[in-house]
This record gives sequence, structure tokens and C-alpha cells, in this order.
Amino acid sequence: MNEQPLERTTPERGTEGASPRRRGLAGWADPRGRRLGGLAFILNRLTGLGVLLYLSFHLVVLSLLARGPSAWDGFVSIAGSPLFLAFDVVLVFGLLFHGLNGIRVTLVGFGLVVERQRAMFVALMIVGAIALAVAAVRIFTAG
Amino acid sequence: MTQAERPSAGPIGTTWTPSNETPRPTWGWILQAISGVLVLVLVTLHMIANHFVVSGGLRDFADVVAYLSNPLVVVLEVCFLVVVTWHGLLGLRAVLFDFGLGPRAESAITRAFSVLGVAIVAYGLWLTWTITSYH
Amino acid sequence: MNAQLDPAHDTHATADTGVRVRFRVYRYKAGDRAGHFDEFSLEVAPETTVLDALVAIRTRLDPSLVLRHSCFHASCGTCGMRVNDTEVMACVTKILDLGSATVKVEPIANGALLGDLATDMVDFYARLAAIGRPLIRESEWLPSSIVPEGIEAYNRFESCIECGLCTSACPIVATDPRYIGPAALAAACRAVEEPRGLDPGAIMGLVDDQQGAWRCHAAFECTEACPSAVDPAGAIMALRRRAASGRLRSLIGGRHA
Repeated sequence: MNEQPLERTTPERGTEGASPRRRGLAGWADPRGRRLGGLAFILNRLTGLGVLLYLSFHLVVLSLLARGPSAWDGFVSIAGSPLFLAFDVVLVFGLLFHGLNGIRVTLVGFGLVVERQRAMFVALMIVGAIALAVAAVRIFTAG
Repeated sequence: MTQAERPSAGPIGTTWTPSNETPRPTWGWILQAISGVLVLVLVTLHMIANHFVVSGGLRDFADVVAYLSNPLVVVLEVCFLVVVTWHGLLGLRAVLFDFGLGPRAESAITRAFSVLGVAIVAYGLWLTWTITSYH
Repeated sequence: MNAQLDPAHDTHATADTGVRVRFRVYRYKAGDRAGHFDEFSLEVAPETTVLDALVAIRTRLDPSLVLRHSCFHASCGTCGMRVNDTEVMACVTKILDLGSATVKVEPIANGALLGDLATDMVDFYARLAAIGRPLIRESEWLPSSIVPEGIEAYNRFESCIECGLCTSACPIVATDPRYIGPAALAAACRAVEEPRGLDPGAIMGLVDDQQGAWRCHAAFECTEACPSAVDPAGAIMALRRRAASGRLRSLIGGRHA
């Protein structure tokens, strides 16, 4: 039998042929085969980046306040439109998920509640779902 | 077929080596946790004060001026801006650092974000001052 | 390549219940531009494992399939694979328990691929070597008059079979291969909590680092994937607690923790 040594491939970032799981820039974002904790991590990142993006818009919009009542109140009048309110609900979801999962990551990261971290995550998400429902109702019905 | 040349690093031809000779303890994660807890508290206060105690859910200009006339409110809102900017930029930095950019790029990012953070807080302070002195 | 297998002629699969399952096996040879999936169809019994099926495929259908295995009972750590996107030991994963008519088999991730289902473990071993595994201590004997309290809590770290499933499942290693990874950190925790002659300071130097325990984002995928109940994520959190309290002590006044 022919003795051919197996040639070792040098790992290259992003070459699909070298490894079936995506590596490189989006390696963390691959949801395939991920369990609850892995999906929580992915969603934590996405909500964090999303809220950060919202923050930058928010800070820009706030500059209208520097231009006086007519500029700001003009904004307030369109901020009540259903599209805006829908974005607000999405924002609240992002804040709630990121914040509540953050509680789990912080506690666990300091070595606390590690054994029951899965149960804690589920409990926090239930709290979050209730809070989101309440907030959504408030947002769409408050004047 | 010739065998691919073995990288010289490591005892058994590996491409992985410890990334540094001396330990680089990092405070990033601990700061992220601390700022996160503060954000949790302050964002809740901010949301309630700005959206859930005002009829219509959004303060108009007169409401904003009245809101900011209370010094305690100003202090809390400024603290909120500081911690949320801190937490957000630390988080973005963590995501970028995961891309394996190398120590020089990483120091550059840290410096740039520090400057950006200070700039954002300065903007917030300026805006607050402008609103409260509007006539 | 599409091929059928008659398990009646095969020693590894029995034909009693004859459930037909479709296998998609990842194929890649050095020099290929990209990998692809080959399909095989087999009849399997309730006890047939993924490894049984793969060995049958290699023996009867396609001898070019590169496959690693040894003990057939999840103690050697050789046959780790990703089956339907989940990290498992192929030798103890029963096909019919997967509940799917199609079984996708891929090599474990986060390492260079030698070929087909064999991932190069060199980088994995290098990380473990940096921590000091195999742990060669000055003394393997505990002083006979002292039995450490809670010794059973340490036994789990000795369970590590170096299979690489944790490192394959970790989303951080997927993005940044500089991360030392869950296996090495679990080994570090074992060494630091009961050094028996090893230098815990040197190990904590690798742990209390940007690429050490602080890299973890608490996804816990490693603990879920581990076939030996090592709980690497728990180890990482314990190491963080140790590193944080050590720094607190040095801040307050103690010289070296």
C-alpha cells in the first residue's frame, strides 16, 4: 500500500473548505447547533449592537432640543405614529433581553448561581416577556 | 505531494501559542459588569421618568425644561449618559477585539473609543446646558 | 457519491428493524477548494450508533473515508464529530435517537481539517500543553493523614478525555483562535485548585489574561457538549472568581495572591 503522509492544511481564515463551521468575522453568529446559552450569547450581542445604534440616533435627535420648542415639538408630533411606536417596542425588547441576560452573565461570571444558570435564564426571560407585554400595551395606548 | 512546512512556534508544530509572554490581566470584563448593573438601574429610572409619568409618553419642550430644572435629575441623567456610553463602547470594543486584530489595532481602538466616549459626554453636558438656559 | 448498504452482510449494523436513514457525510481532501457532502443510505437498528454506520460506510462502500475512532465507548476521546450541527461522541450516539431521517456528519470545528472527518488536533493539544497538561505533579500521593474536603468536586476535571468537543462548540474559539479555550481552562482550574507541586502562579498568568478566562461570554456551549461532565464553563467562572479576588487582594494590600 502506498504510504502517503496526510498533508496538513494550514488554517486560513474564512475558507469554507477548511472547516465546516464558519470561522472569522461571523463565527460567533452561526446559530446552527447552538443550545440555549449559545443562542443567548448571539442575541446578547445583536441586542447590544442594536441598542448602541439606537443610542446614536437618539443622541442626534436630541440635538433638536438645542434648536428650541418648534424644532423639538415638531419631532414629538411624529413620534407618536404607529411605526415609531413599533420601533419603541422593539427597543424595549432589546433593552429587556440584553439587561436580563446581562444579569445572568454578570452573576455567572463572578462564579455565582453557576449550577442553575439555565433555570435562572428561563426565569429572567419570563419576567422579561411579562414586562415587554406591559410596556407594549402602555406604548400603544398612552395618548 | 510534499508535506506543508511546519510553523516553527510551539512544541509540536502548532500554529497556536500563548498570545503574550507576560500576563495581561484585563479589566474590561469587570468594568463591563459594573457599568451594566448601573445602566440597568439608570435606564429603568430614565424610561419611567421620561415615558411613563408623562401623558402621551413623550415630553414636549416645556416638559423637558421643567424636568431638567431639578438638579438631581440633571445629575442622574448625566450619570446615565456616562455609564451607558461607557458600557456601549466597551461592548463594541469587545466585539471588535474578537476579530483578532492584533495589539496595535487594539490599542488604537481603545484610545479612539476613549476619546469618543469623552466627546459624547461633553456633547450631553453641552446639550443640557443649552436646554436649561433657553429663553 | 450515493450508495446503498445492505446491513444483512455487515457486522456493524443489524437488519432487525430496518429503518432506512440517509447520511450526509462531509468530505474534504487536502488540495480541494471546498468541501462537499456525500450521501449514503443505510438501514439501521435501534442500537446502531453513528460510528457503526460510518465504519460500515468505510468498510463496505467507500474506503477513502477518513475516520478516527478507537474505544467505542466514549473514553478515548477520538471519535468526536458534529452530527446534525451538535458536538457528540459518534460511538455512543444512537442514530434513531436523533429523531431525524437525515443525519449530517461533519468533523469537529475550530481546527484545521486533515481530511473528511479528521480534524487536526495539534492546536488543541498545544493549548493544553501551555497549561501544563498532562499534569505531571511532583507527587501523586496525598498525605495519608489529610483527605481534602470535597475531593469529589475535583474528580470531574480528571474526567477530561481531550476530545475537543468543547473547543468545537465554543462560539469564541470560532471567531478568535487565540482564545485558550474551555479545555485548557478546565485543566487550569484543576491544576490551580490542587497543584501538588505545580506552580499555580504561572498557570494563573495564562488564565488571568485577555485570551484566558476573561474571553468567555458565558454561552455554556462547552459544558453542554462535554461527554465527560467536566463542566468547563463552571471551571472558567471559578477561575474568574479566583482571579478577581486575587486582584482585589493585591489592590487592598496583599502582595501576591
